[in-house]
Amino acid sequence: MFGKSDKAADLAGEVTDHTAIQGRSLWRDALDRFLRNKAAMACVFVLGLIVVFVVFGPLLAQWSNEEIDWSRMGDIVRDGRPNIENGHYFGLDELGRDLYARVIQATRTSLLVGLIGAAMALILGTAYGVIAGFYGGRLDAGMMRFVDILLAIPTTLIIILILVVAGRSFITLFIALGAVSWLTMSRIVRAQTLTLKTREFIEAARAGGVSEGAIIVRHILPNLLGVVIVYASLLVPEMILAESFISFLGLGIAEPNTSLGRLIAEGAGTMAYGTLWQLLFPLFFYVTIIITMFFIGDGLRDALDPKDR
Amino acid sequence: MAVLTVDNLKVSFDTPDGPVSAVKGTSFHIEAGECLGIVGESGSGKSQTFMAAMGLLPSNGRASGSVRLDGHEILNLPVGKLNDVRGADVGMIFQDPLTALTPHLRVGEQMAEVLKVHRGMTGSAARRLCLDWLERVRIPAASRRLRQFPHELSGGMRQRVMIAQAMLCEPRLLIADEPTTALDVTVQAEVLDLIAGLQKEHGTAVALITHDMGVVARMCDRLEVMQYGEVVESGSVGKIFGAADHAYTRRLLDAMPRIDAGDAPAPMPAETETLLDVDDLRVEFPIRPESGFFRKPIPLKAVNGVSFSLARGETLGIVGESGCGKSTLARAVLRLIEPTDGNVSWLGTPLTDLDKRAMKKERKDLQIVFQDPLASLDPRMTIAASIAEPLKTYRPDMTARERRAAVAEMMERVGLDPDMQNRYPHEMSGGQNQRVGIARAMINRPKLIICDEAVSALDVSIQAQIVKLLKDLQAEFGMSMLFISHDLSVVREISNRIMVLYLGRIVEMGDGDMICATPRHPYTQSLISAVPIPDPDLERSRERIRIPGELPSPLDLRAALRFLPSKLAAGDEDYVPRLDQVAPGHWVAEHDPLDRILAQAPAQDAL
Amino acid sequence: MFAYIVKRLLGAIPTLLFLVVAAFFMMHMAPGGPFTSERKLPPEVLANIEAQYGLDQPLWKQLWDYVTGIVLHFDFGPSFRYKDRDVNDIIAQGFPISLTYGTLSFIVATLIGVSLGIAAAIRHNSWIDYFAVSLGIVAQALPNFIMGPILILTFTLWLGWLPGGGWNGGQWQYLIMPVIALSTSYMGNIARLTRSSMLEVLNSNFIRTARAKGLPARSVIWRHAMKPTLLPVISYLGPVFVYVLTGSVFVDLYFSTGGLGQSYVNSALTRDYAVLLGVTILYGALTIFVNLLTDLAYAWFDPKMRY
Repeated sequence: MFGKSDKAADLAGEVTDHTAIQGRSLWRDALDRFLRNKAAMACVFVLGLIVVFVVFGPLLAQWSNEEIDWSRMGDIVRDGRPNIENGHYFGLDELGRDLYARVIQATRTSLLVGLIGAAMALILGTAYGVIAGFYGGRLDAGMMRFVDILLAIPTTLIIILILVVAGRSFITLFIALGAVSWLTMSRIVRAQTLTLKTREFIEAARAGGVSEGAIIVRHILPNLLGVVIVYASLLVPEMILAESFISFLGLGIAEPNTSLGRLIAEGAGTMAYGTLWQLLFPLFFYVTIIITMFFIGDGLRDALDPKDR
Repeated sequence: MAVLTVDNLKVSFDTPDGPVSAVKGTSFHIEAGECLGIVGESGSGKSQTFMAAMGLLPSNGRASGSVRLDGHEILNLPVGKLNDVRGADVGMIFQDPLTALTPHLRVGEQMAEVLKVHRGMTGSAARRLCLDWLERVRIPAASRRLRQFPHELSGGMRQRVMIAQAMLCEPRLLIADEPTTALDVTVQAEVLDLIAGLQKEHGTAVALITHDMGVVARMCDRLEVMQYGEVVESGSVGKIFGAADHAYTRRLLDAMPRIDAGDAPAPMPAETETLLDVDDLRVEFPIRPESGFFRKPIPLKAVNGVSFSLARGETLGIVGESGCGKSTLARAVLRLIEPTDGNVSWLGTPLTDLDKRAMKKERKDLQIVFQDPLASLDPRMTIAASIAEPLKTYRPDMTARERRAAVAEMMERVGLDPDMQNRYPHEMSGGQNQRVGIARAMINRPKLIICDEAVSALDVSIQAQIVKLLKDLQAEFGMSMLFISHDLSVVREISNRIMVLYLGRIVEMGDGDMICATPRHPYTQSLISAVPIPDPDLERSRERIRIPGELPSPLDLRAALRFLPSKLAAGDEDYVPRLDQVAPGHWVAEHDPLDRILAQAPAQDAL
Repeated sequence: MFAYIVKRLLGAIPTLLFLVVAAFFMMHMAPGGPFTSERKLPPEVLANIEAQYGLDQPLWKQLWDYVTGIVLHFDFGPSFRYKDRDVNDIIAQGFPISLTYGTLSFIVATLIGVSLGIAAAIRHNSWIDYFAVSLGIVAQALPNFIMGPILILTFTLWLGWLPGGGWNGGQWQYLIMPVIALSTSYMGNIARLTRSSMLEVLNSNFIRTARAKGLPARSVIWRHAMKPTLLPVISYLGPVFVYVLTGSVFVDLYFSTGGLGQSYVNSALTRDYAVLLGVTILYGALTIFVNLLTDLAYAWFDPKMRY
């Protein structure tokens, strides 16, 4: 056979295949359902605005997130109010730093934490769950026993333990978040794998001589993806929540960097003195992100798992 | 006077793609005390007609027209008014007895609430009436059943409970929506007899919704044939079975396989080469008993010593009721389930001894087609990708283009338009998907195909097409087949030889027509006498052979000797019945005379 | 049933032991000890203190003493921070407070959540359904540490209706805000879970049978649909109870309620490992116990379950 002409023939094949009816995959159907969901689409739009704000907002900032505005730090309650003219759009924090720059930086951190934490849970949990579910037997029993033991320890305690023991850093934070978030994911994936495994199309693939590795990659994973995406999308806000929780305790990201949870904690600490903007700006971004993420996750579930409606 | 009159009933469903019309203006009536059959295939709107009449449509369903019960309009009545009718004047039973009863309420509680709502009857009076009805539907140990939960009863028993519950208030009309479709054939016969008896005894009118012309022939006085939401033909059973006017009705009748047709494929010539040799195959599953502190698994003998051989180009039909181990047997032959004991040899190679890699090589020649066409295809793959998958494994030398050509050719061969290759399984009908399954199994030109209930989930007319396709493919490619089904009449149509399984053991094996015309074993006889024949005169004059008791569980050790009560009486519970050759090629398991078996008290029902 | 409970309790022992050992080693691997942090102590003084707390012993001996202390005397040892208090005292003081408002929050979240979910499912696609779904999602996004400042801002600073913090023996004015703060997000979750579960049940065959029998809607919902609806809710409620108790960290911080959460955070920040360990083990044991209760409740709801 001639490699090159093969390729050309293949191309020709593609062209002539245009007569074939194009099927609508389940993904396509799900996408259409999602696009029809008004609440979810509105939330995608709002979340998009926040991302745009995080990316382009710094261009408008006149102060960095570390600089202290010495001229106004004397009386924050009076001079630190949000003000368009002096460049402190969101006002000053308790130490006289620009809240606008700090909120942008904090929002970015929180979004990153959500995405990376969910991604870690997704990869770790899926791999673990698929292996346990697919190979079954003793291996499965042992692996799930381990998960059950870890689940018996309250998650916040694990996170605090890890952070106290291993010291504060961005990496430890992710390890701590990842360490707790993959557990539930692995159980969901395992349960799904168990039901998929008994489906006839897996048996058909076995009878067709497809190897176990190929069955996992070709048949199990694509069919798991819907559930995994839904769950991961709900994990994003949960990760943000968990990080805020940790930051709130003062165990999260180190200064001068900050996160929304940290800002809320600081704002809550000073709200009795009348500097409400210190609480309300981060609170607004925070609640908006979480609510939109939950609505989007909800829309994804409706789209990918239509029986639930 | 008519009990129920349906006039120009229309039903539609609101979907995201606009309203979909399911019933397009049907009109018919049911006279008091008669049995009206509503016949049609899936999607004909036969169930939705009655759901709409009783106000049981899902929330997106709309109904218009008129439905009158004893002259009073009941269509679209408010639920409060409708509740006076439901359960009191009209009783309903549904297809799937496994899910139709509330799982957490005891049988007695579910029945008694009907009496409380409609008759204001409670306490011991209600209990007595429930018990009375359970006995009338011939449930053994009825008083104990009242305290049991639905999951503790067998499928047939649950359907009897449903019937007893529907009959409690002695309704004028009983709507039976595919009441026996999910049941084994012997249980179906019992349930149908029961309904017919109640109809005569109480003068209840029956609306029997079914797809099975055999059931209609046995039960109905008149019938309405529905297609695509419309009644296409109606008339008395005698007239329609004698000379149907409408082409669709004729097609339905012709497609229906008949057990008494006598045209089974001829047996293979004796000198044909043997491909597959199965010797004393056993499969056991450890089952954990439900209670006990230290639960020790006990073995469930799903396949309990089965031996047979299969010649090149031959089709062996395997028949049996649920729990007889027929599907397990198929999977054990292919080693999709590892056999516990025994040998499977393929062209002289013992498959049971091969390691994974060697087995994979053999799988090229050993293929299987499954029952549920949709479930057996990966929902996220195009059908072309599914069909091509075995090629990727066994013909890595092929280019993508060659593969595509091979797939297109095979699609055409199984009657699919190659233009559909980029479609997904959910976009196709059950029959089309089953063709895809067959194409996938055939693409490597295997020497053996196992069809595990391959046509059972399909409508009758599609079923006939698929059986024909399999026969044609066999004529062209010469593969052997193991054709597994619970439906004896379909098996007879395609098989050279038939093997009857009972609780993991062979009870009878022989040529197709030999088994159907002159069965020797009492179990085979009862099975064949229970299969309805789509011919009203013949069907109503047939003698039925009833083995006492219901199909027992494979965990019940004594059940294996149901046909040898003499050995049971002698206390020899581990006895294994011999397989005797009573005529050339006709093997029958040892059994007591029929009278002795019929005389025994109903077998103790396993819990 | 009894055999099942005994079996489950026996099965919990290795889990608990693993928890104790893992937590113990993790804390001892941590850099620095409780007495190294702030000011530099002379080495001999440090050695003296460490000897007093048994920290100079080999690790396995410390672990052994710790475990036997718990098993034999139910004694979690002395606090490293507070000279005159041991861990048992700290737990005995904080836990009843956490338990009180935790249980209250749990009850509030369950009652409101389940009622809202059922109302939404029964009136599917009506305004009450949309309201319940939206409220559920919004509530889910308002965990206690967000609710805390919002509540204080509203009811204490603006309206001046409720005291901003304190416990005061659990008087109702002091309970309202902690309970609302703690229960809101779980209430949202429970409402959504109940709703989707009930929708699924209402579509099932046995509900169609119940309606075909002519039962009134009330009876269809309460007698037939309720138990199966609550099955998935129950398996969620177990973890919620534990979350509600451990989630008390913020409530304690915001409202100065003095529950166990405060001790836990303080000990984490001051490296008082004895308290940290004790509370962790307490919560772990509680989780196992609640899981057992959940499974028992589950079995009561589902006749198919057998022990």
